Amino acid sequence: MWEFIARSLEASMIFTFAGLGELIDQRSGVLNVGIEGLMLFGATLGFIAALSTENYWLGLLVGIAIGGLLGLLHGFFSITLGVDQVVSGMGIWILGFGLTTYIGNPYTGPLGMERIPTYLGLSPFFYVGIALVVIAWFVLSKTSLGLRIRSVGENPSVAEVSGLNVNKTRYLCVTIGGMLMGLAGAIYSLYYNPVWNYNFLMGWGFIALALVFFSMWNPLILLGGSLLFGTLWQLSLNPQLVLPGVLSRYIWRTVPFVITIGALLIMSTRWFRIRWGAARPEALGTPYVKE
Amino acid sequence: MRVGNYELKLEKRLTLTNWEAAIISILAIIFALALFSFIFTLAKINPLLAYQEIFSYAFANPYGLPLTINRFIFLLLCTSAFIIPFRAGLWNIGMTGQLYAGALGTFAVLFAFGGNVPGSADLSPEILIPLMLVVAALGGAVLAAIAGFLKGKFNVNEIVVTMMLNFIAFWLVAQMIKEGGPFKAPGGEGQSFVVSPSVYAPLIMNVPFTIFLALGAAVLLSFLFARTKIGYQIKAHGHNPAAARYAGISTFKIPLLVFIMGGALAGLAGYHYFAAVPGVYKISSNYGYFGDLAFYGIICGLISLGDPLVAIPVTLLFGGLSVGGRFVQGKLHMGFGVDYALLGVLMIALVAFQFFYRYKIVRVSAGEERLDVGVHS
Repeated sequence: MWEFIARSLEASMIFTFAGLGELIDQRSGVLNVGIEGLMLFGATLGFIAALSTENYWLGLLVGIAIGGLLGLLHGFFSITLGVDQVVSGMGIWILGFGLTTYIGNPYTGPLGMERIPTYLGLSPFFYVGIALVVIAWFVLSKTSLGLRIRSVGENPSVAEVSGLNVNKTRYLCVTIGGMLMGLAGAIYSLYYNPVWNYNFLMGWGFIALALVFFSMWNPLILLGGSLLFGTLWQLSLNPQLVLPGVLSRYIWRTVPFVITIGALLIMSTRWFRIRWGAARPEALGTPYVKE
Repeated sequence: MRVGNYELKLEKRLTLTNWEAAIISILAIIFALALFSFIFTLAKINPLLAYQEIFSYAFANPYGLPLTINRFIFLLLCTSAFIIPFRAGLWNIGMTGQLYAGALGTFAVLFAFGGNVPGSADLSPEILIPLMLVVAALGGAVLAAIAGFLKGKFNVNEIVVTMMLNFIAFWLVAQMIKEGGPFKAPGGEGQSFVVSPSVYAPLIMNVPFTIFLALGAAVLLSFLFARTKIGYQIKAHGHNPAAARYAGISTFKIPLLVFIMGGALAGLAGYHYFAAVPGVYKISSNYGYFGDLAFYGIICGLISLGDPLVAIPVTLLFGGLSVGGRFVQGKLHMGFGVDYALLGVLMIALVAFQFFYRYKIVRVSAGEERLDVGVHS
């Protein structure tokens, strides 16, 4: 049982890292629907780097770096060029999906390195993840930097008038957000499931995107949602733990996706929005053009 | 930027003519192919030779050309499935799941008529083929309708929902064709039973009749957008849903309708690939590959700027590129996934070129006073 719980917590952290990256993006007003693509890149290049140097640190760093670069690319498209943010995000997702299939293919198979050591039964990523959630919550809601990010996401022209550099703030957020998504991918391929296979993520990035909508842009709620979905994902892989013999294993695999749709539906109802006052950043998805 | 006596300036476009759009799209494709040469060069292959191989196999080879045409039919249906919601301002990235649903519908019809037992009584194609088409379209439409309904009724993000439905449909296919599933081939490994030869799709000069469905749908859609009230409403919803609502256009019915129409076409794409293409006639164990190909529909739809007639040559080109890409991968001993990488590079080049749909580079001679500067800011 402990093994199952530990595994669920590890899975949750991947959702947490990726979702936190997206949350920071969105708080500054930039929507990045390409999380899955960034994660695939971080996972694949991180895997190759770790495999060829036998060094986990390098693998993680490469994952973070490529995530940051792709975040910057999304920023360049959507902030500087003013391309529709959904189009740009889709582009990065399909680029990641297509290119990593080709790049990673020669490395198909297990990583075959000694596992990353655990502390009290959990990987260091768990503790880092919790710390990052708290830091992100603190920065976003208690510091002047957080105020700057939020005002840029709510009303960029007012923010600009009050002396903030909207584009610079957004670039900062998409880069940090991208690094977190790349790291999430690298944790997946280096620790959670250290085997490279084509398109292995199978929807983790898109569930992380849904979790951000569900979190009402609050890192603490995001953590809660991640814990729920991490457990759910683990359960869908091992249904025999709770309901042995009920439904086939393929039907169980659909469960996290069905519940994602259900969760999105609930939070989109008028009742939910009035009850909880979902704080969607006002300027989310709209490029800012200086007058 | 100054070049000689002239100065290059970026200027916001006020209008985009069809010619300008076509030129931008062609430049984007050429740019992507140039970018992709790096991948060939890295694999120590002469890019020109590789492209020659790709195009000659895809469009001039007796084995390659039928593959290209079959893929063209499939991509055109998937692209139309993307375009209809796209014109209403909505993103259908669920063609993958919808075509799986169409395939499941097709095989459910065969199953219901005992087509899973080899050598069973001859099935009547006059009844079964139309029935398979209807149920395939219905399957895709029902799956897509979930996304359209949730978008229209509760404003649930359709990108996430269609993607979730892709994965749900993926596992449902596995459920039906893998161990213990009702559509499993007798004694076969993880694939469906084979379509009975008596209900093979009719071929016209070796091309499945589905080509007429795909082309007909594109023509009809073009007419729908240009001439009909419903087409106008879809476009109005795409420009500005809030304004459309004030104009009396239902922001519930339009999302539902465009997803149903799109899903039905994607369902037909599922019928086409799994029950009409010579040499396939089953849901193969690598059905995920066909689902991945559906993502070319997003690129084709974007490059065509949502015009179903423009999508015809675009999907023919992209169908050929994906077939040829897979071919050179084997012929030139490259790693798996050349066609996937091509998909990614084409997409990102297209995104970069989106910029030129809104801005143009103009050349003004230095020193010449421009009176209109600042007018269109």
